[in-house]
Amino acid sequence: MNIVVPIKLVPDLVEELEINDEETDLDRDFLSFRINEFCDHALEEALSLKEAHGGTVAVIAIEREETDKVLYTALAKGADRAVKVTGVDEAASSHEAAKAMCQVIGGMEYDLVLTGVQAADDRDGQMGVLIASYLDLPHVSVVSDVEVKGDLIAVHKEYAGGVMAAFEVAPKAVLGIQAARQTPRYAPVSRVRQIMKEAELEEVEAEDGGVTSGSTVRRMYTPEKGEGAEMLDGSAEEVAEKIAAILNERKG
Amino acid sequence: MPEQPTREIFLHLDPWMQGVFYAAAAIASAVFLYGFWKRWKKYRSGRKENRFDRLGQRVARAAVAILTNSTVRRGETFGGIAHGLILWGFIVLFIGTCIVAFDHDFLRFFGVKLLKGDFYLGFSLALDVFGVLFLAGLVMMIVRRAVLRPPALDYARADAQGGKVDRSGFVTDDMIFVWLLLVIGVTGYAVEGLRIAQTMPDFERWSPVGYALAGTVNGLAADTLFDAHLWSWWIHGIAVFGFIAYIPFSKMMHIFTDAANLVFTNEGAARALPPPPEGSVGYATVADFTWKELLDFDACTKCGRCHVSCPANAAGTTLSPRDVILDLRTFANDALGTPELLKQRFRAGSKWPASANGDVDVAADVIRPETLWSCTTCMACMEQCPVGIEHLTSIVQLRRRLVDRGKLDDNLQGALMSLGDYGNSFGQSPKKRAKWTKGLSFKVKDARKEPVELLWFVGDFASYDPRIQDLSRQVAEVFHAAGVDFGILYDAERNAGNDVRRVGEEGLFEMLAEENAKALGDAEFQEIVTTDPHTLNALRNEYPALGVEHPTHHYTGVLAKLIADGKLDLSRKLGHRVTYHDPCYLARYNGEVDAPREVMRALGLDLVDMPRCGVNTFCCGAGGGRIWMDTSNEVKRTSEQRIEEALALGGVRYFVTACPKDYTMYSDAVKTLGKEADIEVKDLIELVAEALGEPS
Repeated sequence: MNIVVPIKLVPDLVEELEINDEETDLDRDFLSFRINEFCDHALEEALSLKEAHGGTVAVIAIEREETDKVLYTALAKGADRAVKVTGVDEAASSHEAAKAMCQVIGGMEYDLVLTGVQAADDRDGQMGVLIASYLDLPHVSVVSDVEVKGDLIAVHKEYAGGVMAAFEVAPKAVLGIQAARQTPRYAPVSRVRQIMKEAELEEVEAEDGGVTSGSTVRRMYTPEKGEGAEMLDGSAEEVAEKIAAILNERKG
Repeated sequence: MPEQPTREIFLHLDPWMQGVFYAAAAIASAVFLYGFWKRWKKYRSGRKENRFDRLGQRVARAAVAILTNSTVRRGETFGGIAHGLILWGFIVLFIGTCIVAFDHDFLRFFGVKLLKGDFYLGFSLALDVFGVLFLAGLVMMIVRRAVLRPPALDYARADAQGGKVDRSGFVTDDMIFVWLLLVIGVTGYAVEGLRIAQTMPDFERWSPVGYALAGTVNGLAADTLFDAHLWSWWIHGIAVFGFIAYIPFSKMMHIFTDAANLVFTNEGAARALPPPPEGSVGYATVADFTWKELLDFDACTKCGRCHVSCPANAAGTTLSPRDVILDLRTFANDALGTPELLKQRFRAGSKWPASANGDVDVAADVIRPETLWSCTTCMACMEQCPVGIEHLTSIVQLRRRLVDRGKLDDNLQGALMSLGDYGNSFGQSPKKRAKWTKGLSFKVKDARKEPVELLWFVGDFASYDPRIQDLSRQVAEVFHAAGVDFGILYDAERNAGNDVRRVGEEGLFEMLAEENAKALGDAEFQEIVTTDPHTLNALRNEYPALGVEHPTHHYTGVLAKLIADGKLDLSRKLGHRVTYHDPCYLARYNGEVDAPREVMRALGLDLVDMPRCGVNTFCCGAGGGRIWMDTSNEVKRTSEQRIEEALALGGVRYFVTACPKDYTMYSDAVKTLGKEADIEVKDLIELVAEALGEPS
């Protein structure tokens, strides 16, 4: 089972986020990035599948300042290949990012593409869906419990309201992973450092994919504060009377 | 002319009997040498480690410890006296036996005889007196085990293992040891008494015990005495040869292993941990253990002092330092084919050590991960151990393996990832490290930008924990008021890595230490101060190996000096009744117990110590990375046990600490116990600030 995991890096919330002067995006001058939590789960699931069924795991990430560290960490955890995609703008939309990833994935031998189900930094949350559509592959999202059943892959997909559905999908396919079978593993620093000395990251320059996002940002702002609440004290009857009075007053 | 005082060595023994005697001696010696050689081979197979530095000093230190019985006596009066009596009785009787052998088997051929005249009389007296001491010690030991039964001698495992492990062999081995020595001692007197009874020479009054015994039996018929003497002589002899042959296969071997271990032990070996083996990240197989560690496992006499002083054991976890050492001993002996007669046995159904070959992972199959993770690295085990066993180094080496294999709990993993990403375990921005300084009456100097006398290495808890930040501000204000020229590293500081190292994340420790080394290199200062004993230990004891060496002080020491120099006006006396909790990493790791007490005296506090204080302090349960772990395997938290210990003193208003982790742990414990009305946790700085502040 050969698996590709396209990894997204998202702004690290340890630093306070600021909005640019145009109010259209985050102020990207002071952002630091880290691996998207769901992508970490996708990687973990891929490594677990590899351990159980053999094969290889390749990881791909778009170049940011922290990309090397993320990719080396993935190698230290057990990934076999790591590809860094250069030439993609930091503010690129999911469409552009997905297209760039597909340029790399297209040239690989693989059975499954595992993406994180969503990421904190985009509006459409459809990285996996987009990759599947660009590659013309079947796609299941919000996935957990990935199981290899002969030639098929059995997965669980969660719907709103706690409804679960069981799917079977034939490789090649794209799965949007919600939760790996276990907590993403720890990569000991000494292993990461060792890998940094021994391994090299592959680099691929992205070509212009000629796609644009279907949406634009009109205004980005932090949630506006309301005027606060008035606390009503007293017994249940008193509180009820006060509420009735307020309602009468504001009825207009 | 009076009879020349002496005795015949092989009295009543026909030449063929003497031949049998020498043959038996040869067999016993051969068995002994075989067992000894097997042990020697075992240690030779261990990984190399240089413990031969300052060898003269090492030998002298060990000789003093052994001959004064000091480490055995410490904290254990009854057992200590018993051991001292046996030890010295044994030494004198052994020397006596050597003199007899030398006289009879060597000097005799040159026509020389030592054992006659006054020398013989002195010899007789010395051996008789020390023989009595020897027997008294043995009887005390039997009483201790049969009647007193101290908890330390209960060999039950901390992890019950569902009765899969049979340790009755340990008890049998103990009993064979004392009873065999007792038989040797008693039959020795019997031989002497029966010999004297046959002629009752006057000079034998110099053997007071033998002479008195002789007096009770000298009325018996001559041939009865003759036979009885001969029989007791043989029983005595066989017992002695049995003893010699049995030594290397039993607890008796501690005579050698413990003497050696006391020579080769490094004082405070846990203060600066050893690196992982070359080309590996931790211990997985028997080949990873150093010869000193293999010796450690054999040095254990199961005295149980580590077992009863261990906070993890007191908390009801599966860890007992004694179990760890004894399990590793059994494992090493099985894996290396070293004979050990009465050892713990694993009944059918137990997985370990079904295969003590290469495919056993020590840090999982022999010592379970849960057990290894339970250690707080408080070092109580090593402090208590009378024979210099270094439990902690083995535990950390095994933890390194667990970290490498990813066998760590989610909380700990999260903390390590935060430490790797941000240099602190709180998962906060490194830029916010000095945020606590906001609200001070002055601006704290940036030691990277201007030279300072004292560099304050603040540490994670003092920087990020809201409860401790307030304490940090008080320290800063007191230092400022006393005119201390100090600064901090601001956002260049990282967690010092003391507990990261003890968790077993060696790579992360190196990374943090390198970053700190760089920050320290960029700053200009004379000395370092910290409020955190864990940080103190790393900077003082771990960093020198990385080439970073600065005089490092705990703030309690700095405060004591400021008071001594009259820099703080403490004319206002507080008078509260308080108790003080010695932090493990301050008292036990670094031997600092006086400075905080001096400060408290100067503050006019009525200090009452808890039973466990100074270097024998009890752990709060947070050390060694425990503060980052899921600790739900603790049945009764040690911090709560400690608060109860303080409450038992009666009328103590404040529970004083001098460690950020202690402050956190004990504040929680007081709340959990619902004792907020009875006792309050205070950091020493709060009391100093109170004494300095305006009278309210």
